[in-house]
Amino acid sequence: MNAKAETPIAAFRARRVRAGGGSSRRERMLYGGSCLSLVLAWLVLTGVAGLPPVVDPAFLPSPLDVGRAFMRLVDTGYQGHSLLYHFGISLFRFFAAFLFCLAVGIPLGLLMGVSGAMRAVFDPPIELTRPIPKLALLPLMIVWFGIGELSKILLIVAALFPIISISAMQAVRGVSIKRIQAAQSLGASRAIIFRRVLIPASLPGIFTGVRVALGVGVTMLVGAEMVATSEGIAWMALTASDFVQTDIVLVGVLIMAALGYSLDLACRYLEKRAVHWSGRE
Amino acid sequence: MSLQPIDLYGPARRARAKLALENVSKQFGEGADAVRALSPVDMVLCPGDFVCIVGPSGCGKSTLLNLVAGFERPSTGRLLLDGRDIDGPGSERGVVFQQGALFNWMTVLENVAFGPRAHGNRQARERAMHYLELVGLAGFAQRYPYELSGGMQQRVGIARALANEPEMLLMDEPFAALDQQNRELLQEEIKAIWRRTGKTVLWITHSIEESLFLATHVLVMTARPGAIKSAFQAEFSRSDDPFVSTTPAFAEAKRHILGLLREESLAARHQEIAS
Repeated sequence: MNAKAETPIAAFRARRVRAGGGSSRRERMLYGGSCLSLVLAWLVLTGVAGLPPVVDPAFLPSPLDVGRAFMRLVDTGYQGHSLLYHFGISLFRFFAAFLFCLAVGIPLGLLMGVSGAMRAVFDPPIELTRPIPKLALLPLMIVWFGIGELSKILLIVAALFPIISISAMQAVRGVSIKRIQAAQSLGASRAIIFRRVLIPASLPGIFTGVRVALGVGVTMLVGAEMVATSEGIAWMALTASDFVQTDIVLVGVLIMAALGYSLDLACRYLEKRAVHWSGRE
Repeated sequence: MSLQPIDLYGPARRARAKLALENVSKQFGEGADAVRALSPVDMVLCPGDFVCIVGPSGCGKSTLLNLVAGFERPSTGRLLLDGRDIDGPGSERGVVFQQGALFNWMTVLENVAFGPRAHGNRQARERAMHYLELVGLAGFAQRYPYELSGGMQQRVGIARALANEPEMLLMDEPFAALDQQNRELLQEEIKAIWRRTGKTVLWITHSIEESLFLATHVLVMTARPGAIKSAFQAEFSRSDDPFVSTTPAFAEAKRHILGLLREESLAARHQEIAS
């Protein structure tokens, strides 16, 4: 705890702490440079400043074309619905599944962490189905739950639920026995220990699971919108690719990337506020 | 010599017992995998005793403390606190751990108020503040444990245990991870707190100096499965001299216990090589 920064890893950690957990000026410059060269490569490949494009625009439209396609979609929508509507439908599917997993998966995981009986009952359905690639369940989901929203939401749930519940369970089981014993010897009841010790001590592990789930969730959204729908951002991108409308495909891809990225940012922000002690033993 | 051998289970002590261990032993696992951690122990702690247990690593001294704390159940025998069986952790036995047992998600004040609050005490915060002042950390009430040094964290741990006003304090090598200066300072403070409050203390340590400096009774344990090898009454804790550990009598006592422990450390090493 009061260990001196003697080992290379300790020195490395100390440096990170000194920089406020952030990165140095040099690292930020390199980061910006890396982003910039990606955009530059895209510009060069698609022909910039009068140069001929290296790649056929039908395969890779220029950033400007993608921007124009985006404006056009904002103005006129896609296949009878506005872009905002497609985005809203996708958001609804994602959040319905994600929030369900948070509301049910976290409490269930916590209970599985403290109760061997709960673990014995719920571990098999979660662990045994975990290796199944959830995308492979899509046809079954449609047969079972129809072509409406339910089958799409359940597909995303099937992918996120094990991640979130198991990470919550592992987080509880990883709470240091000393802290639990300390609370017991201070006279805390089981309920108080659960609420004031186990739950807060598990939060860092829960956040890790939630962040993994966010990434997987956006991926599963694409899967959920592959068939039996004519709405949604992923559906728009998939349909546009059938007509080689690569500019619209890229608009869809970038919107989903922006969604995933901003969800991750929001989660990291929340984590920093809610779990200020994380990694600072 | 200021070390007097004593029978910790003598009839006079048994009559005044605060805590009594009768034939208490502990074995982990069953059958061929069983590990005997603690040989049968008989001992009595009287009110106001400060008992230090020293022994080679792995001798079962922490197991003994865990049994008294109620974190473990004995394999044989029984433990009695004020004549009643110990059947689990209880707030009349405050525990201070070596390190890493503070609640990092709570402020220092909330940590110390945790026990009183768990008992529904409305003055929990006031009481916590009182004990933070006692350990000299009133100015750090709103900080988080991870913002404090190792020595300050141990003070929080001590204040947290004291805030429940337990009858007994159980300390499991509380200063083992601290540097020499911090340790000596805290030892003096603990001695002062103990004198003022008259609590019964069971203290596990591997430092002979610490045990002689603090204890009214020093217990030396054998190598695993630990048993009580010798028990002494010590005088040095009565001294007000912070440098009592530099006196010839202290050195002589230390030498005596070192000799006893050396035999056990050698025995422990033979065990390790044999197994």
